[in-house]
Amino acid sequence: MDLQETLTAALEAIKINKLRSALTALGVIIGVAAIILLISISAGLQGYISEQFEKLGANSLFVIPGKLEGSFGGGPPRSVNKLTFNLIDKLERSPNPSIVDVFPIIELAVTASYRNESKVTTLDGLKENYFEDADLAAQKGRLFSAKENEIGKRVAVIGETLAKDLYGNNDPIGKNIQISKKSFTVVGVLEKQGRVGGVDADNVVFIPLNSARKLTGADQVNSFIVRTASTEVIPQAREHVEKILNRSLSEDDYTILSQEQLLSTILQILSVLTAALGGIAAISLIVGGVGISNIMLVSVTERTREIGLRKAVGARPRDILQQFLAEAVILSVFGGAAGVLLGFLGSVAISRFIQTAVPLWAVLLGIGFSSLVGIIFGVVPAIRAARLEPIEALRHE
Amino acid sequence: MKPLIQIEHVTKTYGEVPNETYALDNVSLAVNSGEFVAIIGPSGSGKSTLMNHIGCLDKPTEGRYFFEGKSTFELSENALAKIRNEKIGFVFQSFNLLPRTSALKNVAMPLLYGTVSTEERLSRAKSMLEKVRLSDKLESTPAKLSGGQQQRVAIARALVNNPAVILADEPTGNLDSKSSAEIMAILAKLNSEGKTIIMITHEREIASYAERIIEMKDGKIIFDQKHRSKNSRIKEDGFLKRKG
Repeated sequence: MDLQETLTAALEAIKINKLRSALTALGVIIGVAAIILLISISAGLQGYISEQFEKLGANSLFVIPGKLEGSFGGGPPRSVNKLTFNLIDKLERSPNPSIVDVFPIIELAVTASYRNESKVTTLDGLKENYFEDADLAAQKGRLFSAKENEIGKRVAVIGETLAKDLYGNNDPIGKNIQISKKSFTVVGVLEKQGRVGGVDADNVVFIPLNSARKLTGADQVNSFIVRTASTEVIPQAREHVEKILNRSLSEDDYTILSQEQLLSTILQILSVLTAALGGIAAISLIVGGVGISNIMLVSVTERTREIGLRKAVGARPRDILQQFLAEAVILSVFGGAAGVLLGFLGSVAISRFIQTAVPLWAVLLGIGFSSLVGIIFGVVPAIRAARLEPIEALRHE
Repeated sequence: MKPLIQIEHVTKTYGEVPNETYALDNVSLAVNSGEFVAIIGPSGSGKSTLMNHIGCLDKPTEGRYFFEGKSTFELSENALAKIRNEKIGFVFQSFNLLPRTSALKNVAMPLLYGTVSTEERLSRAKSMLEKVRLSDKLESTPAKLSGGQQQRVAIARALVNNPAVILADEPTGNLDSKSSAEIMAILAKLNSEGKTIIMITHEREIASYAERIIEMKDGKIIFDQKHRSKNSRIKEDGFLKRKG
C-alpha cells in the first residue's frame, strides 16, 4: 500500500466518524491553540520591550557613576559621583572612530512653577545637539541653540504635560518658568513623546547643559551617553571609554550600561517564562494525544473484523500499522492546523489590548509537535491492530 | 503435475499437552487445479481449521502444507500475506464487506496490497462486478444491497486478483434458497471456466454442486469421493439458463 492509498484510506475512515474525529482532534486543537497564543503574546511582549528600548537609543552606552552589581543592580549607586566635566573633556579630546558624540546629562528632580501653578518634574541639562541626536523636535517655538548652551542662557524647552499643567490653554512660549528660584524663559514645547518605560516622557524641562551646571554649581554630571557609530561597534566604544576613564578612575567608580545588555537580559527572562508557560500548554497537547490514543484503541476494537479481512486478503502487518498510524497522524495534524488557526485568531483578538505576534516558527512548531503527538500516541493502537491474528479477527463479533 | 494444494499429515492442536484438543488429526489431502471440492461435516469437525490452513491463515502443529508445490512452513508472515493476496480468494459466510464502502471499492480492496495502479484497480473491480452482474450497483454500500447481492460483491472481491483457488466458507449460510442457488450457480460457472473452488458447507444440497465431497469428523477426513462428473449440475440449473 503506497502513501497516497494509505492516506486516502485513513481519510475515509476519519470521515465515517465525523463527530468522533472532530471531538478527538479537539484535544489537540486546544493544546496547539494555547501554545500559539502563549507564544504570540510572548513574542508581542518581546517586540514591545525591544521597541521601548530602541526609543532609548540602540547605538548608545550609558555611563553612570558608581558600581552597579549585575545587569539590573539594586537601587542607586552609593559611592561618591566621580563623573566630572573634566573627564568628559578628556573623552572628547581623544576621538575614536566608534564614537560619534558624547552627551553629558545633568538630571534633577525639581519643582517648576509659573504664577500659582507648580509641578514636580524632571530637569535635564543637555547639549543642544542632543535634540537632533535623540530625534526630538519642538511642536511650538524652538529648541535652544549652541550659543545659548555655551553662554549658559536661562532658556527652557518643556514637555507637553508640563506645558498643559503650568500654562493651561495659554501659549507658554515667551513666558517665564521658575526652577529652583531661578527664572527661565520658555522657548519651545516638545512634540509629544508618550510614555517610555512606564514614565511620562512629556513631564520634563530641558535646559542647556551649562545653564544646569550654573544652577547646581556642581562639577559632576549625573550620567553621560556615548553615541556609537553603529550597534556593531559598541564593544570597541566600550573598550575606548573604559580606557580613558580608567586613567583617572577605578573600575568601581562607574558603570557602563548598554541598551543591548539590558534588553538581552530582559528578553532572556521572558523566554524562560515563555518556555515554562509553553510547557504547561504542551501538557494539554499530551492530554489531547492520550485522547487520540484512546479513540484509536476503540477504533481498532470496532474494526477488528475489518482488520482480519484486510489481512486475509493480503495486507501485511506493516500495511495495517501504516493505516492506523496514518489515521492518528491525520487527526493530530488536522487538530494542529485547526489549533494554529484558532490560536492565530485568538492572538488577533487579543492584539486589541496587548501587542501580539505569531512567528512562523511557532506555526511550524505547533504543527510539528502535534504530528509528533499523533505518531507517539498512534503507535500503540496501530501495533495492536497490526498484530491481530486474522482468524481471530474474522471471528470477532 | 503436482497438485495445487497438498496437505501431508497435518495435525493442529490447541491447548497444552496432555490436555490438548485435536482440531486436525493427521489429515492428508491433495486438491488439483480445476477441482470443485465441498467439505462437509458437523460443527467442530475441523473443517474450518482445515480451510484456514489451506488459506495460509493458520500454521499446522505438525505436518506440511505445499501450495503450488512449495512448502509454506518456512514462509514469513509477509510471504504468506503475499500468497493470500495473489493466489487465494476468500468468500465468507457473513460476506465481510466494509460496511460504509462502495461495492466497487470493496471489490478493489485486495488490490491495494498488491502493485496495481489506482485506475487498473478500479477497472478490474468494475469488470469483476460485471461478471457477477452487479454493474448497476458499483457505488452502492452493502447496506443498500440484498444478502445475495452482498455475497456476489464478495465473490467479485475474491476474483479480483485472479487467484488460483477460491475458498468459500459457508457461502450460502446466511442466504435464502433463491439467493443460495444464484451464488452456487456463479461458483459452478467459475469452476466450469477452470477456477479451483474449495467450499465448506453443512448442507448436502449445496455440497452436491461440487464434483468432490470430503466429509470430516473429529478432525479427520472420513469420506472423500468424486461423486459425479463435472458440469452435470450446471446444465440443469435454472439461474444460468435464464442468463443464457
